[in-house]
Amino acid sequence: MDTVLDLDDIQGNVVKAYGRYGYPVARYLFFGIVAPEAGRDFVRSILPHITTSVPWPDLSKTPLAATNIAFTYQGLRHLEVPDVTLHGFPDEFSMGMKARRDIIGDTGPNHFHRWDPIWDNQEEKIQHVHIIVTMDGKNEDALETRYQLIRGILAGVNGRSKDGGVVQLTGHRGAGGDDPLYQSAHGLLPKPAELGYPGGKEHFGYSDGISTSYFQGCGEDPDLVIGGGKPVKGDPKTKEGWAPLEAGEFVFGHRDEAFEYPEAPGPPLFSRNGTFMVYRKLHQNVGSFNSYLEAEGAKFPGGMEALAAKFAGRWRNGAPLVTFDTEEKANQYITRLAALQVKVWANQATEVEKAEFAKLNLQLKAYDYDDDKDGAKCPFGAHIRRSNPRSGLRFGNVKAFADEPGALSNRRRILRRGLPYGHSEDPTRDDGDHGVIMMIINADLSRQFEFVQQQWFNFGNDFHLANDQDPLLGNHGINENCRGEGRMVIEGDAKTNKPPYFCSRMPTLVETRGGDYFFVPSLTCLRMIGLGNIDPT
Amino acid sequence: MANKSGNAYALTLLCPILPGAPPGTEPGIGAKSHVACLRYELQQQVRVSEESPMAKVLNTYLCRFYVLDDVPYQGKPAILEHLKSRYLVFSSNFHGELDDYLKGMWITIEPEIRFILDHCVGFSEVSDVASFIAYIKKCQVKTTFFFNGSNDDPLAEQLKALYLKQEFSKFVCENQGRNPADLQQAFRQFIKRAQPENTANPTWKAGAYHLDRVVSQ
Repeated sequence: MDTVLDLDDIQGNVVKAYGRYGYPVARYLFFGIVAPEAGRDFVRSILPHITTSVPWPDLSKTPLAATNIAFTYQGLRHLEVPDVTLHGFPDEFSMGMKARRDIIGDTGPNHFHRWDPIWDNQEEKIQHVHIIVTMDGKNEDALETRYQLIRGILAGVNGRSKDGGVVQLTGHRGAGGDDPLYQSAHGLLPKPAELGYPGGKEHFGYSDGISTSYFQGCGEDPDLVIGGGKPVKGDPKTKEGWAPLEAGEFVFGHRDEAFEYPEAPGPPLFSRNGTFMVYRKLHQNVGSFNSYLEAEGAKFPGGMEALAAKFAGRWRNGAPLVTFDTEEKANQYITRLAALQVKVWANQATEVEKAEFAKLNLQLKAYDYDDDKDGAKCPFGAHIRRSNPRSGLRFGNVKAFADEPGALSNRRRILRRGLPYGHSEDPTRDDGDHGVIMMIINADLSRQFEFVQQQWFNFGNDFHLANDQDPLLGNHGINENCRGEGRMVIEGDAKTNKPPYFCSRMPTLVETRGGDYFFVPSLTCLRMIGLGNIDPT
Repeated sequence: MANKSGNAYALTLLCPILPGAPPGTEPGIGAKSHVACLRYELQQQVRVSEESPMAKVLNTYLCRFYVLDDVPYQGKPAILEHLKSRYLVFSSNFHGELDDYLKGMWITIEPEIRFILDHCVGFSEVSDVASFIAYIKKCQVKTTFFFNGSNDDPLAEQLKALYLKQEFSKFVCENQGRNPADLQQAFRQFIKRAQPENTANPTWKAGAYHLDRVVSQ
């Protein structure tokens, strides 16, 4: 029997990628708690404004802005959550992201000494960030209104507090050396000359945010199970090839893929319907990306765009390489898809067009790698094949774990949230303040996020790629010539006698600029924290 | 089949450790029992590095020495049980036949073997290769689990193969796209330098555990 979730008790960002619901702008606010009672006052005061996961069937009736809240381990300590409860959290959460740097590859160019000051970039042991409040808006005005509401709540809390209250933390690296009060983020729409699935771009020009994990009880569109659920026996181009993941992979207090409850602190009411969120500010070295792509693309058979596609596993317009093996086919497909989407969103599509749109839209995600077991279409080292291998870790041997084609990947799935930030003003330069705010939701930081980061992005063994790393997200280091040492094998094709191509000396393209691990409580838990009545016995 | 998988051999020994202290040790100055001496020798002698005496023993894929103190108690309703003795456990996965391997081990590192096994019951009877092999076989237990990190080729071939893979990857990255004549010339130079047929040199060192330390030229 499928898990039914209390969606009105689960925070909205767990289930919804707000960007898909028409919220293209966001602000991320960080707070430090000086006085525990003021911290609890803040939680109580913000509670009525927290957005839940209740489905939004009618897009015309959604709120103008969404608000969510989460806490670091130190934050929960400063809120005086009982020690017995705190000790129930796993080590990686209490240690925090900085201390996990050797595991997740935050070394060299990603070292915390290079992070934004808000993350206490000089001190390993210090963690002033206690609370994150995320605000997603339909437009800047809505966001500003919501921001002023939070500022008002903060002023009220600090007015009532006699001993220090709650502090809004600064130290975000601004574009012009300024010190903004919050981290802004915004969807990047395709430039007029670019084709793209209108889900938004990131700074290297790829359409992003196409794929998302789908789990039991989430209340989202059931069609999202295709490519978003776990692979099962059946055609991957249809719903028969997919099943929803167990809810416990993403929400505490529910059965996970091992048919257990995920490890979470007591009392059960405290953790049930909560989860963990990883916040990572990832700077993008746009100049290095463009110059490497240009230099290597001049030599790569197929040219620059084909090489960019091989890095990601999708053409920059979003079309997956496994299904669309030439740029021309990919462009034709996306052009038609985008045209239909405009009509569908404007409610001007005929029934025939709606059906065609639904069919084409599926092709973005409805595939596996059984037809590409040599990596001739999508390289084994491509970003999407590493981050979500689907049934690909059986390497085309369909008899291997036949009943569970995703046996080696079902427990490594994550939910991706977040948006790009900043603007890359000069495509030839790396400096400035632009990249992606990645927010990753999972029930087990170590088994899910950290595993993917360590084994699938910064190592290659699972893909038979020795110690090669993810071309886009891997830490390729910095050598004595200020260059990276990244390598990627682009498999050839035995059928057409096409030789493999080897990319070497790849620079580090994405660098960590800060972040931490947060606990995302349920609404029930937020009330318990606010009232200070958690009884761990 | 127990102990053998193709050309790979899995050896496990349980050697009972002598009770009490070696004769002549002074009581009261630190721990001087046989088991304490044995632990000391193991930590001094068998380091995880290319300097481990076991790195010199030909064809060792992976090996491990440890002291088995007792069986763990698993809680009620299990019965609390104890071993009659402590054991030195030696497990090794290697290429080839047992007698050849043990002979090589004795010839290469006899002094180090003595330092360790002198603390075990019955080892005082060992005086030469033949009695060493007989002693080991007396302590041998059937083994069915194998180290999965290598195939069953001779170690020198495996190390050479890893070296060649690493060097050929570099060659490919450095020479990709060159015209056929230049490429052939570069490849000839590569072959001359890498000497694929020569398993002795250049190759990876046995026992190395870090990429920076593997290449012996």
